[in-house]
Amino acid sequence: MSVFKKLFQIFGPIVLAALVLFVFLISPFGVKRISQTTIEKAALSQSPNIFKGSAVKKAALSQNYVPFFGSSELSRMDALHPSVLAQKYQRSYRPFLLGSPGTQSLTHYWGMQGISQQLKNKKAVFIVSPQWFVKKGIDPNAFSFYYSNLETVEWLRHAKNTRMDRYAAMRLLNMPSARSSETIERCILRIAAGQKLTSTERTYLNLRYNILQHEDQMFSMLTLKDRRSLIEKGEKQLPDAYSTAGLNQVAEKLGKENTTNNRFNVDNNFWNKRLKNNYQKLRNEQSNFSYVQSVEYSDFELVLNEFAKQHTDVLFIIPPINQKWADYTGLSMDMIHHFNRKIKYQLNSQGFSNIVDLSDDGASPYFMQDTIHLGWKGWLRVDQHVDPFLNKKQGKTAYKINNYFYTKNWQQKTNVTSD
Amino acid sequence: MPNMQPYQNPTYFLILGVALLPIIIGMMFGKKLHWYQTLISFAFLLLTFGGPKWEQGLALIGYIIFEVILIGCYYFYRQKKNATWIFYLAVFLAIIPLIIVKVTPALEGGQLSIIGFLGISYLTFKVVQMIMEIRDGIIKEFKPWLVLQFLLFFPTISSGPIDRYRRFIKDYKTPMARDKYLDLLDKGVWYIFLGFLYKFILAYFFGSRLQPVVMQLAISHGGMSWWVVAFTYVYSMHLFFDFAGYSLFAVGISYIMGIETPMNFNRPFKAHNIKDFWNRWHMTLSFWFRDYIYMRLVFFIMKNKLIKSRITIANLGYLTLFLIMGFWHGLTWYYIVYGLFHACAIILCDAWLRFKKKHQAHIPSNKFTEWFAIFITFNTVCFSFLIFSGFLNVLFFHGTLN
Repeated sequence: MSVFKKLFQIFGPIVLAALVLFVFLISPFGVKRISQTTIEKAALSQSPNIFKGSAVKKAALSQNYVPFFGSSELSRMDALHPSVLAQKYQRSYRPFLLGSPGTQSLTHYWGMQGISQQLKNKKAVFIVSPQWFVKKGIDPNAFSFYYSNLETVEWLRHAKNTRMDRYAAMRLLNMPSARSSETIERCILRIAAGQKLTSTERTYLNLRYNILQHEDQMFSMLTLKDRRSLIEKGEKQLPDAYSTAGLNQVAEKLGKENTTNNRFNVDNNFWNKRLKNNYQKLRNEQSNFSYVQSVEYSDFELVLNEFAKQHTDVLFIIPPINQKWADYTGLSMDMIHHFNRKIKYQLNSQGFSNIVDLSDDGASPYFMQDTIHLGWKGWLRVDQHVDPFLNKKQGKTAYKINNYFYTKNWQQKTNVTSD
Repeated sequence: MPNMQPYQNPTYFLILGVALLPIIIGMMFGKKLHWYQTLISFAFLLLTFGGPKWEQGLALIGYIIFEVILIGCYYFYRQKKNATWIFYLAVFLAIIPLIIVKVTPALEGGQLSIIGFLGISYLTFKVVQMIMEIRDGIIKEFKPWLVLQFLLFFPTISSGPIDRYRRFIKDYKTPMARDKYLDLLDKGVWYIFLGFLYKFILAYFFGSRLQPVVMQLAISHGGMSWWVVAFTYVYSMHLFFDFAGYSLFAVGISYIMGIETPMNFNRPFKAHNIKDFWNRWHMTLSFWFRDYIYMRLVFFIMKNKLIKSRITIANLGYLTLFLIMGFWHGLTWYYIVYGLFHACAIILCDAWLRFKKKHQAHIPSNKFTEWFAIFITFNTVCFSFLIFSGFLNVLFFHGTLN
């Protein structure tokens, strides 16, 4: 065999592979169309790949999908879940569920980076869980799980020397994910220090952005969970014509049927899987829980700041806690009221005035599906606020961001008087 | 200054590919560019041990000077005399840095020794081997430059495979015909790409995707659960593909440089028994332990007629070998138990093989028994890796995983 033939045999495949890689990853061409089915599935999937990516989110939010930011409650897909109601009664909007167990303000802030154009002058729904506001905010492991290089690079490309970006950079540096790449870490350090990125760093980021974007376009929708059957199942349980009384009956019935094996009005499955064997250990276990002093308040400010930047009209929902469960675990209602005053002050004082505070409904039966997650009647109540909000004309937003909310002083403040 | 760990990411391979190009061209024309090879070796060592890792770099330089002088001194001594205690002293001196590095974390609460650096174990194996072969009179030269080339050969410096001095130097010096080199190049490239599959896809999948999940589930369940079983297999796969992938890189790069570094793995999970397993798993290490610890101990005992029974001698040899291997991994209960476990397994295996030989007529041997043997061996090995992982330490004694 001739030498060249042999050399070609050895290196030919490598050269070919490099070429294919270049065409698919580095070159700015080759955007794949995203099918309607993919969008429908993705909106319900709560899959981390969709959350961390931007291609599918962008495609969906350019249509009639509205982002529903939240966390674990979004996966309580009973018949009264916003996604079911929107489909059953052919609303003008469809929810795109963003968030799953472990997502908090910080993950949402980065999750918003890829869809800034889609948030501009649009509406959004945001469910704020009191449970996020523990002393140290998000668990670094949970953050790593939802960390996305794509969103970070996207953020870095537009980061400026503002309080928001410096604070975000500083928070990111506290997370192990920031060290995933040396160059990216250096860029984050620069932003934290209020410096400009060098032109080499910019070129690197742009190149990296192309690669990550292509990765996202090609791989984020593989192995997508399909939950459409859950929604269809929910639809079948609903009356054909929308009526508050009729839906209330369904919620009451479903709630009753599904909470028969415990005294806390907790869903049977949840009870069997998560509480049955260890609930006795949890008695009075939460008596010293506090959601009043937390770094999460400043992380939440990042989210507000981003909404303000994009002039997004947002409906904030503060869910309650199952009263029976709170009594059993000794969670202080005083503290919860304290939390409510503080978070509402942060929202109202900056012009975020669409707030649905459900915190007094924790005792109402079947409002919660389990301990801290909205369910049947709770979802119905949410819908009664969400539907009018999303149907009314886009209002002009007048937000006044106050950098005070980025300070330790605010994070630690305890004596917030009511708005 | 930039710093990169060997085979860490695609960038490392990209730089490596460019750096190897002149070597490939030279080899194609039957020329070994020794000066260039030295140059890039230095550059890659700087990349690994420079910048933020400069302390390790200094430790490496100090270590190398010390060991080369030691080898030299022992070589010149051995030309004239051959006292046993001097030989023991030389071996002891050679392993003292390694002992300090291994003992320090156990004594100082996890703190790493300042004289440690990435790959010190593997360098020590090479040095001890040289001293032993100098004593045997098989190594008949002391050329500091060649010793340096052997010790600091950059593709294998961080984790082996452990080459032998005489074999390495022969490859290093002898020119190679173009046809032979093309075959080697072909294999080298193939090994590197197989390594990509092992390390960046399979090891990543098992180690970074599955392992944290099963670990979390096992911990939240507490104590013994099916998740610990899942962890056992996931960890075993991670360990194998990570290390085998790494070894394939080292061997592949060596081949491209015209050095036939020995293979480290030969389908270890197809082993029929534990003995077979150690002939297939981390082979250069087990052969090193076989040649320089086990065989020497066995000869020593037989020569001095300390023990009569050959079986007892062999078992004692295994026990010593695996205990030392356990201690070498680190001074923790689980590494030592791992060593003892394998010693027991191999002693049992030997006993079974003797029994089988005696009763050959009555013990069936067919496809089924063969698969059964593989199945048992595989599970025994995976269980030993569960011990090795230190995860039991986390589960039972709330230790941390390194």
